[in-house]
Amino acid sequence: MRATRRDFLRIAALAAVGGLPALEACRGRDPNTVNFFNWFNYIGKETLPRFEKEAGIKVNYEVYSSEEEMFSKLKAGVRGYDLFVATDYMIPRLKAMRLLDPVPHDILKNLRRIAPRFRDPSYDPGLLYTIPYLWGTTGIGYNARKLAKPPQSWWSLWDERYKGRVSMLDNLRDGIGVALLLTGSPLDSKDPAQLEKARDLLLKQRGILKQYSSSTFVDDLVSGELWLAQGWSGDVLQAARENTHVDYVIPKEGSFIWVDSLCLIRGAGRRAEVLRLVDYLLSPEVGAEISNSVRYATPNAEAIKRLEPTLRNDPRVYPPPAVEARLQFYAPLDPEADELWNRAWQEVKIL
Amino acid sequence: MPPLQLSPGAPLASSPAARSPALARSRLDLFLSRLIAGERPSASHALMAPASLWLLCGLVLPLLLILALSLTRRGPYGMVVWEFSLGNYAKILDAVYAPVLGRSLVYAATTTFLCLVLGYGVAYTLSFYAGRRREMLIVMIMLPFWTSCLVAIYSWIILLGREGLINNLLIGLGLIETPIQFLNRPFAVILGLVYFYLPFMVLPLYACLEKIPRALIEAAKDLGATPRSTFTKVTLPLSMPGIAAGCLLTFIPCAGDFLTAEFLGGPRTYLIGNLIQNQFMVAQDWAFGSAVAVVLIAVLLIGFYGYLRLEGSGFEAGRV
Repeated sequence: MRATRRDFLRIAALAAVGGLPALEACRGRDPNTVNFFNWFNYIGKETLPRFEKEAGIKVNYEVYSSEEEMFSKLKAGVRGYDLFVATDYMIPRLKAMRLLDPVPHDILKNLRRIAPRFRDPSYDPGLLYTIPYLWGTTGIGYNARKLAKPPQSWWSLWDERYKGRVSMLDNLRDGIGVALLLTGSPLDSKDPAQLEKARDLLLKQRGILKQYSSSTFVDDLVSGELWLAQGWSGDVLQAARENTHVDYVIPKEGSFIWVDSLCLIRGAGRRAEVLRLVDYLLSPEVGAEISNSVRYATPNAEAIKRLEPTLRNDPRVYPPPAVEARLQFYAPLDPEADELWNRAWQEVKIL
Repeated sequence: MPPLQLSPGAPLASSPAARSPALARSRLDLFLSRLIAGERPSASHALMAPASLWLLCGLVLPLLLILALSLTRRGPYGMVVWEFSLGNYAKILDAVYAPVLGRSLVYAATTTFLCLVLGYGVAYTLSFYAGRRREMLIVMIMLPFWTSCLVAIYSWIILLGREGLINNLLIGLGLIETPIQFLNRPFAVILGLVYFYLPFMVLPLYACLEKIPRALIEAAKDLGATPRSTFTKVTLPLSMPGIAAGCLLTFIPCAGDFLTAEFLGGPRTYLIGNLIQNQFMVAQDWAFGSAVAVVLIAVLLIGFYGYLRLEGSGFEAGRV
């Protein structure tokens, strides 16, 4: 049963919240172990076992289910991670808090395989602190059999006909972001009036919403429990692999594109082993295997050539230029905006 | 263990005994155990010291830290700014947050009531009718309690989902046509809470019912009481301490629960536990999260104090 692995990961992620100290004890001080902290469901099945066998280095793999959860742990000074994955908008914040170590470009020989368009991102020009891992988009996952016609617009997530069958990502960047988009406000707004309007729009949606979820929506799309879900491209396409009626669309109003990157945590030991793992993840075969498995796009130019042709040519994974023009990165938020956004999101969840 | 004859008020460092490590340690133990127990020095303090130390490090200090945090301010990106501020408490009074506390207390009270109704029947049967099977039945009550609550929550999701077992069964039997939405509603949250906290109610009730002298019940019957009045006049009043203990043990953890609402609840079942968890893990506002936690503890303590007063006056009448 497919749900089992996902459930296990989610449970593991939540158990980690409750059992930080216990897990901390597990995280090895063994010099031959690398501690890798990643999004749940974000790596190929064989990726790490094969590395362990080839390199003779043990990987202690832990997962999180929200960016904020990861940030909380790092901020709280949870020690022992060597390598972790973070989304673009987190990078300036992580840099400002001095949580990252620079990337040694000369040691990582596979770094040159990164496609040119990912080498100079606005969140980290010149890739001084980050190594692009996977990228994707935010859109709508839907069950074509249950809907009269495929959704084109974000507004279908507000459609009364789908009451109780709709879910939104439990993520303020996507939630507030879409609401700002639909109310015609700038996406890095720190105007309380605009955020209030966005909040009210999300509150209006709550009556038809089944849940806010960033993970369980995948299984619910597969089972048919959900008809429409705001989701991330790869997650929805994983659901589509299980249930052929599930499809993914980037709404006409536009949406978000993001890059998740490997980051080296500041001052972690075992640098040689960690870099060996990073270089392994960057190798074309491994990059392709990960992308094939999780259905997110790879920034690795060499890996793209080795993808399953159906994935490589899938416009839902690699949007054509016309669609890409409608996509934008999450705007980095300064502390003031961060506070306002958090408050608005909090109120959406409570009221 | 040598007798502890050090004077209680003497400061630690000035005493010559402090130079001897073993004595200094027992001195510290003494101090800690007195801090917790507040009794005269005796060997019992030495025995209590490990537990006291544990309580001090695991409960008292973290609580003080929470209290201190609640008086600070949220800085950029959720860093804690150690500046005195009552702003977090003012924020709780904001109209947004009051309903969350109210909802949590209502959910906890409903759960406690349902647990009491269900649990009393179970405990009564166990105590009076179970006979030889009693041990096995108690183990069966405890069993769900021993499994991870996350596994149990997922089982409920599988059972209650719209494409889940219960809906499929009801549809298969022709009782309903379209699946019922059980999940993501208050119903599912209360169900989950009752499921988890039932053992907390049953065990103290059972312990209390067990201790009721059977002779009293026989005496009531001999004196012509009907089964009904035997129950209302003898058994029920004598089980009041068990009811009170069970209600407390259920209500208090229930009021702070967040996992159940997180998984079984929906957009309208946000509880105060979720609010606190969210402040720490998502909103990065530890100061406000601490303030909410302090308020929750305060509300529960006030309730507990009320219970103690009540027990001091009313319950004595029912005691033997």
